[in-house]
Amino acid sequence: MYRMKKSHAPALAGLIFIMPLVSACHPDGARPTLSGAELYDSSCKQCHGATGQGQLGITTPAIAGQAAWYVEGQLVKFRTGVRGAHPEDYDGLRMRPMSQQLMNVAEVKAVSAYVATLKPRKQPTTLQGGDATAGAGHYGVCLACHGPDGKGNELLKAPSLVGQHDWYLFSQLKKFKAGVRGKHPKDLTGGQMQPMSMTLVDDQAIKNVLAHISTLSK
Amino acid sequence: MISKYVESASSFAGDIDHLIWLVTVIVGFWFFLAEGVLFYFILRYTAQDGVKGQYITGEDPKQKRWVAWPHYLTLLFDVWIIIAAITVWQHVKQAMPQADSTVRIIAQQWAWTFVHPGPDGKLDTPDDIKLVDELHVEKGKTYHFELQSRDVLHSFSVPVFRLKQDAIPGRTIRGWFKATMAGGFDIQCTEICGIGHALMPARILIENHEDQAAWVMSKSPAAAATGGTP
Repeated sequence: MYRMKKSHAPALAGLIFIMPLVSACHPDGARPTLSGAELYDSSCKQCHGATGQGQLGITTPAIAGQAAWYVEGQLVKFRTGVRGAHPEDYDGLRMRPMSQQLMNVAEVKAVSAYVATLKPRKQPTTLQGGDATAGAGHYGVCLACHGPDGKGNELLKAPSLVGQHDWYLFSQLKKFKAGVRGKHPKDLTGGQMQPMSMTLVDDQAIKNVLAHISTLSK
Repeated sequence: MISKYVESASSFAGDIDHLIWLVTVIVGFWFFLAEGVLFYFILRYTAQDGVKGQYITGEDPKQKRWVAWPHYLTLLFDVWIIIAAITVWQHVKQAMPQADSTVRIIAQQWAWTFVHPGPDGKLDTPDDIKLVDELHVEKGKTYHFELQSRDVLHSFSVPVFRLKQDAIPGRTIRGWFKATMAGGFDIQCTEICGIGHALMPARILIENHEDQAAWVMSKSPAAAATGGTP
């Protein structure tokens, strides 16, 4: 049977004390370069879903298939407090710190390019009472920037509306109308959208135009 | 001594520091004493050739003293700590001194919204000043706060105040503080609140009377209407 020599006891005690410190060391402090897919997986997937379809339960929008220039532009706005910094913008305030997880412009571009590769999907209708025929008339104002097919226009920095949840578009239109979104002096495109949203006079008008937009998502 | 490492900027920070110091000294004393006795026994009674091990039943009063006396002393020190802790708890958490002003603190994933009273000095009026991640208070004034959460558990922590209070959805939790030092300091969430928990820092800006008054006026609706401030 092994018997510890007296002279070994201090060494053993020292070893027990040192071991946890050794395990805490990390010799390689270098940060690896992450791909767009890896960045999406680590920062976006938890809320927007693996396929970028968003989740009603936590009110995150669909981002699948949104153009890279738009995603990049919005990420920059969130990162710099141009969007998602209003006290009443609950969802925007959640997105702002998430966008700041991206370390630099290269990571913003990489994840934006990845999001653009995700396939958009027609989303189920959740809003009741919308009149698509009446909404087609309201859409005449939107059409100038978002296009007759709702797929957006890069030159006008108008995003695609196709494949987006109706509840999300409803909430954003309400935010634009209330000045919760698009009010920042540096938010040029948001500032353009704000007066456009005012042409929808009430919730019914918003539901109508969203009912029409849902017919574009085919 | 703690304030040498983390500044002390509230009227009760010293009480908390004293309590932490008291617990550290008492627990530290017993820790090092116990470890010293333990290692002494390990070395003194290491197995030796020709010496047979002894089975201790714990019935000999001379041997039981090694357990009983520290036990009684530990209880005595526990009572000391409990009395000190309850005294501080009563002062910081139970007693609410008269407020000079009230602010509302709203936590959410992952930001803080601070609602300050405007020039009228009252909350829930049109001149309220709402700011994200920035709380302005006046040095020397006693503030009540109304802490709320929009979604999940959060915890409002101002390390320089030694203040920490959980925010619970559906409840308004009231507390108080009195800033004693001007400057800008960190506010943290100290309750894991989701994936962005580490990304919700904020700042508390403690100003003297003149600066605070100027700031409030600069944020008033009249100033905003004239384009005085964004």
